[in-house]
Amino acid sequence: MANLSLLKIDGRGEAITLAALCVVAVVLFGLPLGLLVNVGVGNGPNLLVEALRDGSVQRAAWNSLESASLSALAATLAGTCLALTIGLTDVRGKGVVVFLLLLPMMIPPQVTAIAWVQALGPSSAVLKTLGVAPPPGSPHPLYTPFGVMLLLTVQHTPLVCLVVLAALRTLPREMMEAARLSGAGVFRVLRRVILPLISGSLVAGFMLAFVSAMGNFGILAILGIPARYTTLPVLIWRRLSSFGPSVLTDVAVISIILGVVALVAITLQRWLQRRMRAAVVGPPQLPLRIALGPMRPLAEGLLALYIAATLFLPLAALVATALVTTYGLPLNAQTFTLSNFAEVLFRQASTVRAFVNSTLTAGVAALFLAALSIAIAYFMSRRDGTHRRIGESLSALADVSYAIPGLVISIAFILAFIRPLPVLNISLYNTLWIILLAYVTAYMSIALKPVAAAYGQLDPALDDAARVSGAGFGLRMRRVFTPLMAPAAASGAILVFLTAYNEVTVSALLWSTGNETIGTSIFNFEDGGYTTLAAAMSCVTVVATVVIMAALDRIGRRLPPGVVPWRI
Amino acid sequence: MNKFLLSAAFAASLSTGAMAQDVSGKLVLYTSQPNADAQQTVDAFTAKYPDVEVEWFRDGTTKVMAKLRAEFEADAPQPDVLLIADMVTMEGLEAEGRLMAYPEADVSAYDPAIMDDEGHYFSTKLITTGIVYNTVADMVPTSYNDLLKPEAEGNVAMPSPLTSGAATIHMAALTAHPDLGWDLYEGLANQGANPQGGNGGVYKAVAGGEQLYGFVVDFLPIREKVNGAPVEFVFPEEGVSAVTEPAAVLSTAQNPDAAKAFIDFLISEEGQQLAADMGYLPAHPGVPAPEGFPARDEIKLIEFSPAKALADDQQNKERFIEIFGG
Repeated sequence: MANLSLLKIDGRGEAITLAALCVVAVVLFGLPLGLLVNVGVGNGPNLLVEALRDGSVQRAAWNSLESASLSALAATLAGTCLALTIGLTDVRGKGVVVFLLLLPMMIPPQVTAIAWVQALGPSSAVLKTLGVAPPPGSPHPLYTPFGVMLLLTVQHTPLVCLVVLAALRTLPREMMEAARLSGAGVFRVLRRVILPLISGSLVAGFMLAFVSAMGNFGILAILGIPARYTTLPVLIWRRLSSFGPSVLTDVAVISIILGVVALVAITLQRWLQRRMRAAVVGPPQLPLRIALGPMRPLAEGLLALYIAATLFLPLAALVATALVTTYGLPLNAQTFTLSNFAEVLFRQASTVRAFVNSTLTAGVAALFLAALSIAIAYFMSRRDGTHRRIGESLSALADVSYAIPGLVISIAFILAFIRPLPVLNISLYNTLWIILLAYVTAYMSIALKPVAAAYGQLDPALDDAARVSGAGFGLRMRRVFTPLMAPAAASGAILVFLTAYNEVTVSALLWSTGNETIGTSIFNFEDGGYTTLAAAMSCVTVVATVVIMAALDRIGRRLPPGVVPWRI
Repeated sequence: MNKFLLSAAFAASLSTGAMAQDVSGKLVLYTSQPNADAQQTVDAFTAKYPDVEVEWFRDGTTKVMAKLRAEFEADAPQPDVLLIADMVTMEGLEAEGRLMAYPEADVSAYDPAIMDDEGHYFSTKLITTGIVYNTVADMVPTSYNDLLKPEAEGNVAMPSPLTSGAATIHMAALTAHPDLGWDLYEGLANQGANPQGGNGGVYKAVAGGEQLYGFVVDFLPIREKVNGAPVEFVFPEEGVSAVTEPAAVLSTAQNPDAAKAFIDFLISEEGQQLAADMGYLPAHPGVPAPEGFPARDEIKLIEFSPAKALADDQQNKERFIEIFGG
C-alpha cells in the first residue's frame, strides 16, 4: 500500500516537472523559432530550395562546416591535453592555471580577435620590441582561413577543457589505482581506462566546440571577412544589411539551413554517445596526482606558454589600447592617459548600468539553466521511451538555438515577444526580462552538455535502487541526482555566466535605454569609432570578472570539490 | 496644474503643429549616431522640452533596420523618430509608406537636394567620405585614382557597401562619376582591397598601420587627428560623397507631436550648432564647419540622386559582389 501511494506521488512529481519543461520548451524555443521558420518558409519551400542552390550559400555552408569541425577537433585535442595534465598530474598551481585558462573567455570574442590582430600586426608593441614586426601595410597572417581556425580553436579550448575536467572528477579513482597497482604505466592507464571512460565527455566537448564555432560571429566577421572566408552567420549578417523588405525572409531561410546542419551534427553525437556509454558510479572527488618527475617542469612550462599566448598577449594589446589618448599611437609617457577609464567608469551612466544588468541577467540565466539542465538531463537518461524523447527533443532544440547566431535569436524574440503576453498582459519587449529569456534559450546547450555527459556516466541501477527503496521523484532529485550532478551543473552554469556576461549578438537588438548590456556597450563604442573606450570597458570587464570569480572561489571553499571548476 | 492638464488636452486634440511648450510624453528614438553623440542630442532636446522623456536605441544603421524590420513583421513598430545614416534607406522606407509627411517643417535655409520634397525625411549633417591615409605612407593621394598606383598595392582598406550606408552611397556616387566609374572599383579589387565591415574598421586598420590608405567618413580621422592620431583626411580632387544623417517621423509614431518637435530641434540653428560642436559638418549652410574641416564652399560634393541610388541599389550591390566576391 505504502509503496503504491509513493509511486503515485512519484508519478505526479515527474508529470508536473515534465509539463513545466514542455511549457519552457514551447515558450522559449518553439514559439520564437517557429515564428522564424514561418517567416522563412511560410509561403512554401521555394525560397529554401533557391537558397540551397545559391552559390554563396553553398560556399558559406561549406566554410562553416570546415572551420567548425577542424577547429573543434583541434580544441578537443588541446582542451583534453590541458584537462588531463591539470586533472591527473602533480603540476603545481592548478587552481591558478584553470582560473587563467578561463579568463580569455571573458574578453568578448570580437575584442579578442581585434587584440590578436593588433598583437601580430605591424603596430604590435610586442613584436616591435622583438624587432620582428611586419612593416606597415604588409598582409596580416591572421586574415586567412588558417587564422580564423586558429582563433576559433583558442576560443573554444577552455570550453572543452572544462567539460573534460568535470568528467575526470566523476571518474572513480579505484579503477585507475587498480590498473596502476597491476603495473600499468601512465599511458596505458590513459589509453585503456581513462580515455574510454571519458569518451562521452570528449564527444560532448567536441560538439560544444563545433556548435560554438558554427554560431561564432565575432572572430568570423573580423578575420573571416578580410580573408574572404564567409560562413553562414556572417552571410546572415550581410543579408541583414541589404535593407530590402525581404531581408527577414532571407535571414530566416539561411538560419533554417544552419539549424538543420546543427541537427544533423547532434543526431550524430547522440549516436556516438550511446555507443560510448560507460556506466560507472562516482561522486565528485579530488583529482589524481600522478607524479611527473623530471617531466613536471616541462609540463608546467608548456602550460605557462599557453597562458601567455592566449591570455597575456591579447590582454597586453587591450590594456595598451585602453591607455593611449587615441588609437594608433604607441604607448609612451606622452600618450598615456587614464581618461578612457574615467569616461567609462564615472562619466557615462549607461556603462555602469551595463555592468549591473549583465551581471544580473547572466547570473540569473546561469542559475536557472543549472537547475533546468539537472531536470532535463534526468529525462534524457531515462530508459522510458516517451520521457527520453521529450528530454532529447529539448536538448536538440537547445543545440539548434545555440548554433543559430545570436542576432537571429534576437530577431526571433522580437517576433515572439514584442506584443504584451496574453492573459498576463505584461510586455517583455524593452525590458531586461527579454534579454534574460533570450540567454536561457541561446545558452541552454552549454549548461546541458556537461550535465548530460555526467548522467551518461551514471549507472541506471542507482535510480532503480532509490526507487525500490521508496524514494519519490522529488527525493531522488534532491538527494541522489542533484548532489551527483552539482559539479557538472555548476561548471555548466559558470560557462553560461562567462559566455553571457560578455556576449553581444543576442542582446544586440534587444537592449533598450536602461537595459544596456556590457557587450552592446563595448560594441557600440567600437562601432562608433571610440576604440580606446571599448578597450577600457573590456579591461574593466575582465577585472569585474576576476572579482566575481574570486567571490565564487571563496564560496567554493565550502562546497564539494568540482563545483567551482578552477578549484581543484 | 489645471493649466498643464488643459494644455496637454489641447495638444492632444491638435495632432499637428504642436507648440514647444505643449509637447510632452514618451518619445522613442532609434538612431545610428555614436552613443555619446546620441546622448548629447537627447540631453539638449530634453533640456528644451522637459516634459518629454526620450527612450533611445543605438546601433549601426544595418542593425537598427534589422530591429525595425522585425518590429514591422510583428506589426508593432516602436520608434517615433528615426535618425539614421543615409537617404537611400529613407527613400526605401518612404516608398513602403512607413514615414509620416511633415511638410510644415521649416527647411527654407537648406539645399533642397538633401531634403525630401514632401517632408518625409530631413537631412541633419553632411558626413562626407573621402580618403584617409596613415602618415607613415610615402605617397600622398589627392585623387581616387592615386589608390591604383603601385605604392598602394595591398594597402587599401574600404568599408563594405553591404554593411555601411555611407559606403553604399560612396559606391553609388563614384561609380556614376564619368572619370571614375566601375573601373575604379575593379582596379581597387586588383590592388587587393578587401572591403570589410563599417567605417570604424577601416579607420582602425589605417590608424593602426595594418593598411596605409582607405575610404572613410570624414569625422573619424578629423576628430582623432586633433588627439594626435597618425592619420590625415583627404578631400580628393574629384570630390567627396556624402550621407546626410536624415531624421524622419514614422507613420506609426505614438507621439507625433514630440517627434515633430525633435525634427524641428535637429534642423534648427541651435540643433545644427550642436552637431558642429560634436565635430560634424552641419547641413545648415549658415552654421560654420568645426575645426579641422575646410570651409563649406570649398568642399566639392559628387553629384548624387538618392532616388536613383535606391533604384540601382540591388544592381550595384550585385556588381560589387561580382567584383570583390561576396
